[in-house]
Amino acid sequence: MKVVGARLPRYDGVGHVTGRTTYVDDVRVPGMLHAAALRSVHHNARITRLDTGAAAAMAGVHAVVTHADVPLLVYGHLSGAGIPGDEPLLAKDHVRYRGQPIALVAADTVDIARAACAAIEVDYEELPALFDVRLGFDGDAPVINDTFGNWYDQYEGNLDVRQIRKGDIDAAMDAADLIVSGVYRTQSVEQVPLETQVCVAIPEPDGRLTIHTCTQAMYFSLGVVCSHLQLPMSQVKMVGGTVGGGFGGKVDTASDTLTALAAQKSGQPVKWRWTREEEMLASGNRGPWHMEIIDAVTSDGWILGRKMLTIHDAGAYGRFSVYGLTKHSFHHTGAYSIPNLHFDGYVVFTNKIPTTAMRGYGVTGLSTAIEVHAERVAKELGMDPYEFRLKNANRVNDTSPNRIAYEDPSTVEVLQSLAAATGVELGDGLRAMTREQRSGDMLPDHLVAQIGSGGGH
Amino acid sequence: MAVHRGKGLATVEYPTGMNQNGDPSQAWIKVKPDGRVDVFSGTADIGNGSKTVQSQIVAETIGVPYDWVTYDNSNTDSSPMCTGTFASRATFVAGNAVLKAARQVRERILAVASRELEIDPADLEVADGSVSVKGTPAKSMGVDEVAGAATFVHGELLTGDGAHLNPGAAIIDPTTGEVDKPPHAAISYAACTAEVEVDDETGDVRVLSLTQAYDIGRAMNPTLVEGQIDGGAVMGLGFGLLEDCYPYYPTAEHRGDGMNTYHVPTMAELPEIKNVLMENPSSGGPYGAKGIGEMSNNAQPAAIANAIHDAVGVWVTEFPITPERVLAALDAKSEGRSEPRREGRVVAFDEELSINSFTSAKTWGA
Amino acid sequence: MELTVNSVARTVQSPPLSSLLTVLREELDITSPKAGCESGGCGACTVLVDGQPRRSCLTAVCAVDGAEVTTVEGLGTPEDLSRVQQAFIHHYAAQCGFCTDGLIVAATAYVGGGGSADTGDIGEALAGHYCRCTGYVKILEAVAAVARGDTFDTASTASSANNTYVTIAGAES
Repeated sequence: MKVVGARLPRYDGVGHVTGRTTYVDDVRVPGMLHAAALRSVHHNARITRLDTGAAAAMAGVHAVVTHADVPLLVYGHLSGAGIPGDEPLLAKDHVRYRGQPIALVAADTVDIARAACAAIEVDYEELPALFDVRLGFDGDAPVINDTFGNWYDQYEGNLDVRQIRKGDIDAAMDAADLIVSGVYRTQSVEQVPLETQVCVAIPEPDGRLTIHTCTQAMYFSLGVVCSHLQLPMSQVKMVGGTVGGGFGGKVDTASDTLTALAAQKSGQPVKWRWTREEEMLASGNRGPWHMEIIDAVTSDGWILGRKMLTIHDAGAYGRFSVYGLTKHSFHHTGAYSIPNLHFDGYVVFTNKIPTTAMRGYGVTGLSTAIEVHAERVAKELGMDPYEFRLKNANRVNDTSPNRIAYEDPSTVEVLQSLAAATGVELGDGLRAMTREQRSGDMLPDHLVAQIGSGGGH
Repeated sequence: MAVHRGKGLATVEYPTGMNQNGDPSQAWIKVKPDGRVDVFSGTADIGNGSKTVQSQIVAETIGVPYDWVTYDNSNTDSSPMCTGTFASRATFVAGNAVLKAARQVRERILAVASRELEIDPADLEVADGSVSVKGTPAKSMGVDEVAGAATFVHGELLTGDGAHLNPGAAIIDPTTGEVDKPPHAAISYAACTAEVEVDDETGDVRVLSLTQAYDIGRAMNPTLVEGQIDGGAVMGLGFGLLEDCYPYYPTAEHRGDGMNTYHVPTMAELPEIKNVLMENPSSGGPYGAKGIGEMSNNAQPAAIANAIHDAVGVWVTEFPITPERVLAALDAKSEGRSEPRREGRVVAFDEELSINSFTSAKTWGA
Repeated sequence: MELTVNSVARTVQSPPLSSLLTVLREELDITSPKAGCESGGCGACTVLVDGQPRRSCLTAVCAVDGAEVTTVEGLGTPEDLSRVQQAFIHHYAAQCGFCTDGLIVAATAYVGGGGSADTGDIGEALAGHYCRCTGYVKILEAVAAVARGDTFDTASTASSANNTYVTIAGAES
């Protein structure tokens, strides 16, 4: 191979260093209007009155878009995967998080658009809000999500929990020399792309819409826009592919659909660029995870079984959270082979910003929990942290929580390599270990039944 | 009052591609009359380098120089469907789509060259923009000449299209989570050691170094892989120590609303970063690629937490590990409140954080 | 108001309290300074004002009336890249590119002012610039290489010294 594997420069490198790469905010269109959003100031409230009359009448205002202008108000990001939609594009009669968009104004300038937002009259009836996922199950908790209740309840088989069951967890607990439990709570993180959410939508003379988008997923966003607007995909041209940072935060089509609606309604090109404050306070972010792990271990360092409870703080609406939790459940043993498993996971709703994808979605917090727990267990056993990890490391044909055989696991090799790079002396047995299928001392009775027969990845 | 040093270890694994898969990417390629190659793909470049990597895969597969390739991902009219740049899928899934399209183009080039050279296509090869007879490199013609002949002599358009879809895995038993096929395209692995300094007076934690080993599958472009891994390490440091959208979680007050009030890592926090990149080609990725973009921020938070324990003997399991949390943990330790409950075989940490301490609506335990 | 922008005399019509960023982007159509935060926090809007790096988002245009303003467009062109621009390509110091223009401007001032190749010094000078992609490692290498006087091949990129490569046993195929 010559080209693949070569240290070639970025395809777009010259543009990046000369200021000539065109990002969405750099697009110039004659007659372009500017948009601003009216957002909820409450965490949870009924909207009892929404009057845009005064705003629409202001000089320089060309369109005020509300829920009444959206052909399909509720469209689920995962409806293609059979997960119902729950989030309106614009709030209609209820706001469920502070920062939720209620209206978008397109005007000659951003300042006019913002002044018009301030002139929109909204009456709220404030309701109690829920923030702590640990309280969402209580009978007297405020109901957060009209579609699903306080936690998602429509997994396959109409279960309200994402479950993994493998082996015999009770037998593992009975056989354990030590049962170590811990609780791990990882936080919400903003993706912080340097480019905030931004869109330019242009009504074309042939009736089509051109949408300059910062999305990470042009066709996904095309589908979302066309669903809300009830248009065939031929009527919308997404223009993009050059993104000023995403990290997961530009998958959920935050600005394209609303800008398109404002362009349709005004008949003019519209730009909507979020302020940094909006990006930080109203865009979807990495969701918090509450994780409780109970490991059944032997005094010589085998992990016989794991019980785990995960509660994912989804914020006010579902977005990708069910996907994230499912992925989380599939990886809840981390880099180790644990034959007996009992996992319960919940997507719980709170009155926070709906959470979304971010680098490592579903797993970053999980890896954090698993690895601090592993360190604790090793310490409780008085065992070297490398030895504990290498012993339990997944090997060829060990099986994952959902029973897929590992094809080319390299937990053993990356640990050996890291030890070498950091001057850690591994004992002979650990240095000689490979990822090859378990045998001999590395195949104790409790790991025999879980061995698969290949065909995985 | 002193500054203490510690080291901590973490190991992670992460899937390439969407869980449960079923996420297609498509691409098509056309060749201009002078042999230059236009690639149309719907994959956004979010900084990850999709434009570069896909162009490399096309150049390699057809057998033309990199600078013969033009890459257009600019719009959904000219580019076919790509699910998007997320789930560490761009290099693997979309890379496979352009790979397949490029193979078709290569076959078309060989077919035309075969007629021009009057040699069986099986006896021809393409490299560096030239089609030559295997074993007789002197007998050759340029890909530019082949494309010209296709256009002006044979009346043909040299094109190729490719699509990649990892089959969707279904959960066949929702009570056990069993799936009918792999819910990922590949898995990558990594390990990380963090070395930290903890100031027991201020609670400040400084990461001195992150040493990491990554199974990268195969590097399509090593420099780009390094860039992903360095960037992920610093993002992981931010997750471990600095960043929180809700600093008083679970309440939603006092949120950072800008770059001056939400602490993204800067050059000032940058530790020494050393990487070992381990090639372990995947069976299904283009040229053995795996997706490592996302997993590169997964190992550092735990490695840092474990290093803090090594340094000062406290476990902080609520993230990020702020100075306040370190000081609270040190206080708890000095007051004898930090030990887990030990009863017989049971060692129970963090019971005050457990759902059992907050509600009776859901009970949890061994 | 009058500005000399990238060596061209320009007359500015915007209101005097408009930010220099807005004037450059919206009135003069010079789009390399980016509106990353518009509150001086990220560095993406940095330009040179009389040779000194300034946050254009926090600079009222009336405060720089008559000044010489340089953006990355004025430092080099695709055909004639400056050494800092070459270094950012060769050392892979730009990924998404959104912070890049501000960093190149600031790095140009740093190196032009005789800044050293010491990464601690560079970090001190440039720590106000956020980059969410690179982890800064290769940005520091690029700036250090310019300060050292390296020459750059923009048709290839450099490996960082902090990386080693191995092949996992049994995976050589």
